Amino acid sequence: MGSDDVLRTHLQELRRGTVVVASLVALRRPDYGYALLQRLTGHGFPVDANTLYPLLRRLEEQGLLTSEWNTEESRPRKFYRTSEAGEQALDRMLDDLAAVQTSLATLIEGAPR
Amino acid sequence: MTTSLTDRYLTATLRSVPAPRREEIATELRASIADMIEGRTADGQDAAGAEREVLNELGDPAQLAARYADRRLQLIGPAYYLVWQRLLIVLLSIVPAIVGVVVGVVTATTSDNPGNAIGAGVSTAFNVAVQIAFWVTAVFAVMERLGTPLNLPEWNVDQLPDEPVERDIKLIDACASIVFLVLTIAFLPWQQFQTVIGDGDRLPILDPALWASWIPVFLAVLVASIGLEIAKYRAHRWTWPLVGVNALLNLAFAVPAIWLLRDDRLLNPAFVDRFAWLRDGGLDIVARISVVVIIVVTVWDVIDSVIKARRAAR
Repeated sequence: MGSDDVLRTHLQELRRGTVVVASLVALRRPDYGYALLQRLTGHGFPVDANTLYPLLRRLEEQGLLTSEWNTEESRPRKFYRTSEAGEQALDRMLDDLAAVQTSLATLIEGAPR
Repeated sequence: MTTSLTDRYLTATLRSVPAPRREEIATELRASIADMIEGRTADGQDAAGAEREVLNELGDPAQLAARYADRRLQLIGPAYYLVWQRLLIVLLSIVPAIVGVVVGVVTATTSDNPGNAIGAGVSTAFNVAVQIAFWVTAVFAVMERLGTPLNLPEWNVDQLPDEPVERDIKLIDACASIVFLVLTIAFLPWQQFQTVIGDGDRLPILDPALWASWIPVFLAVLVASIGLEIAKYRAHRWTWPLVGVNALLNLAFAVPAIWLLRDDRLLNPAFVDRFAWLRDGGLDIVARISVVVIIVVTVWDVIDSVIKARRAAR
């Protein structure tokens, strides 16, 4: 395994959990799978379609998202929206993300270079 | 309407998705695929090419289905792997050997061909090993699918192995070697008086003339080897003097034995005469095989002792 591969693996690990957070934030405004994918990519969260679609269903099953079928347009689309429980979970996750950021900042400051 | 690539992709994906949710996932996934294709054709790509690209991007339908069903793509996961591995090692190191030996011994009592008995033992042991490996793995794979809790106690330091390699020479190995040597010593007088041939006749296997020459030497070497085993056990490991003595004893046994075998002086001529097969060239084959076996065993034993002494010296 080259050092590029090592770095890529670490970056993937770092990104993995943030897709859930980003989806919950983005879906405060209801959206369907492909549109969400586009929005996330546009905001610097590149995510594979074959990861995001199953993830949305899983978050729905966990009660963090609610869904509604929209049949008014050319094809029926399932719109997801962050639920009340999702909002609470998101708060906790954002707090945690901020805590990690703070901890890292103090660690970087305190560590001699 | 002809079956499109998308239809085939959906069929392949939904095959392994739980039935109650199949319909809904199908509708949603179809819409998502259509959206993705549309996104590409809007950029000026042709529809067929866009469809291919989108489906390629979504990847193996079986993998996508596993993600929808939240199913891990592994036979035995980390929760079960170590238990599976340990159980398999314990079972494989004990059961096939026992069953193989039992079958071999039972076959030996009913058949007069020792080759048959060994063959039966080895093939049974192999079959038992394959069966164990298959069934243990199958049971663990099912447990993995069902998520059966193992309820094993948490690991703690009390479970550490006792002494980390304090002693290279195990008591059980030393005992086994000494038992083998004693049996070999006992064999020498036993074959002189107790070898029964045919109708109650008794004939020594080894040439009785050797009692006045080489058999005492072999006896002395064997007794000295017992001493070596004891010294080795007390030293806890192979040391260079022990390696030297071991090499000398090996040579003191192998050289005369090979020399006697080559000159046809080891076996009792009267004993050889009783077996037509031995008389008509068989003796030569037996001698050759014995010489090769003695050389291989001797060389290996010396190399093994050197390797272990070097490891212990580090």
